[in-house]
Amino acid sequence: MIEVVVIRIVDGSKEWKISIGQERIKVRELLEKIGLLSNEYVVVKNGQVVSEEEIVNDDDEIVLYPVVSGG
Amino acid sequence: MVNCSLCEKPAVYINRISGKAYCKKHFLEYFDKKVRRTIRKYKMFGPKEHIVIAVSGGKDSLSLLHYMVKLSKRVPRWKISALLIDEGIKGYREYTKEDFIRVCKELGVEYKIASFKEYFGYTLDEIVMVGREKKLPYQPCSYCGVFRRYLLNKVAREMGATVLATAHNLDDIVQTFMMNIINNNWDKIIRLAPVTGPLDHPKFVKRVKPFYEILEKETTLYSLLNNLYPKFVECPYARFNIRWMIRRQINELEEKYPGTKYSLLRSLLRIISILEKHKDEVIQGEIKTCKICGEPSAHEVCRACLYRYELGIMNDEDRKKIEEVMK
Repeated sequence: MIEVVVIRIVDGSKEWKISIGQERIKVRELLEKIGLLSNEYVVVKNGQVVSEEEIVNDDDEIVLYPVVSGG
Repeated sequence: MVNCSLCEKPAVYINRISGKAYCKKHFLEYFDKKVRRTIRKYKMFGPKEHIVIAVSGGKDSLSLLHYMVKLSKRVPRWKISALLIDEGIKGYREYTKEDFIRVCKELGVEYKIASFKEYFGYTLDEIVMVGREKKLPYQPCSYCGVFRRYLLNKVAREMGATVLATAHNLDDIVQTFMMNIINNNWDKIIRLAPVTGPLDHPKFVKRVKPFYEILEKETTLYSLLNNLYPKFVECPYARFNIRWMIRRQINELEEKYPGTKYSLLRSLLRIISILEKHKDEVIQGEIKTCKICGEPSAHEVCRACLYRYELGIMNDEDRKKIEEVMK
């Protein structure tokens, strides 16, 4: 079964749907898959702030808060 | 689930150098200890101060304001005020200004807003337009940086500040360090010290950076955990800046080799202490007083007055004075 995780930037500027398969994948690895660096985002999983070593599962909702604000 | 190394509650942060994980409560304690240690180590404040916090309305400066107000409750002779410089950037500043006013009211802090329009007669958007029409070789961030620093010092002094605190974090500092190495700007590297100011010129307000050793990821997390994270609005000029690329490069290095940023900071502190011993070679001449506006300046005429002259946004009297000095 293919599992899909939805990730979005908090301001709604970008959204990704990533199939993670059956593997146990960490937040850091998930971000790597879409070319993002874990030190540039604070990650909220299902409404809770989590560390980059947190495991991501099917149906999790991931919201990214950019650390890099540019201004 | 990753748990806190201290209490087994769910972790919100991992310090990748020590490997320690922190829950919300222990992260905030870790953050507080780290900032207090920085303040003590660099002797940023005395027992009696009027501390003006330079606030942009972004997450770092709102966090600094929030943190300093809380800290000041433990120091009876500290007064905290906030100062926001309104450059006049449409689609950006009006939103961050709202957040600024809301947080100041919530914290019960006195604040002041000083605008480019009020002091220079033009907003940054208008200045950038004039600069482009006149084909001046400057980027938006150059005007903004010069005019903003100028007003921060002048207005903080007028507010009676004994010290001006800015929210520059470890990431900002090492990025600026790299930019100045690329540009061979050693005089600017000296000014990246955690405390700078009053000894150089009586009109300079002492400046401190309490987040000097705090990662941007940590200040962001502090802002989120305290409901200070603003609506994410990016300055429209940010991508014109070389900082954007340097930041990405340093962050890639940090991801692969945790500790890179602290290592760069140690190099910076070392080179500052070496440069301090050779100040005459690095900084040409004493800090002067600008012949036009009377503010501290590296040259006979300060950068802000020079920009105003080149842009043609200066009154006739000052323009004549500059032309006299430049003869």
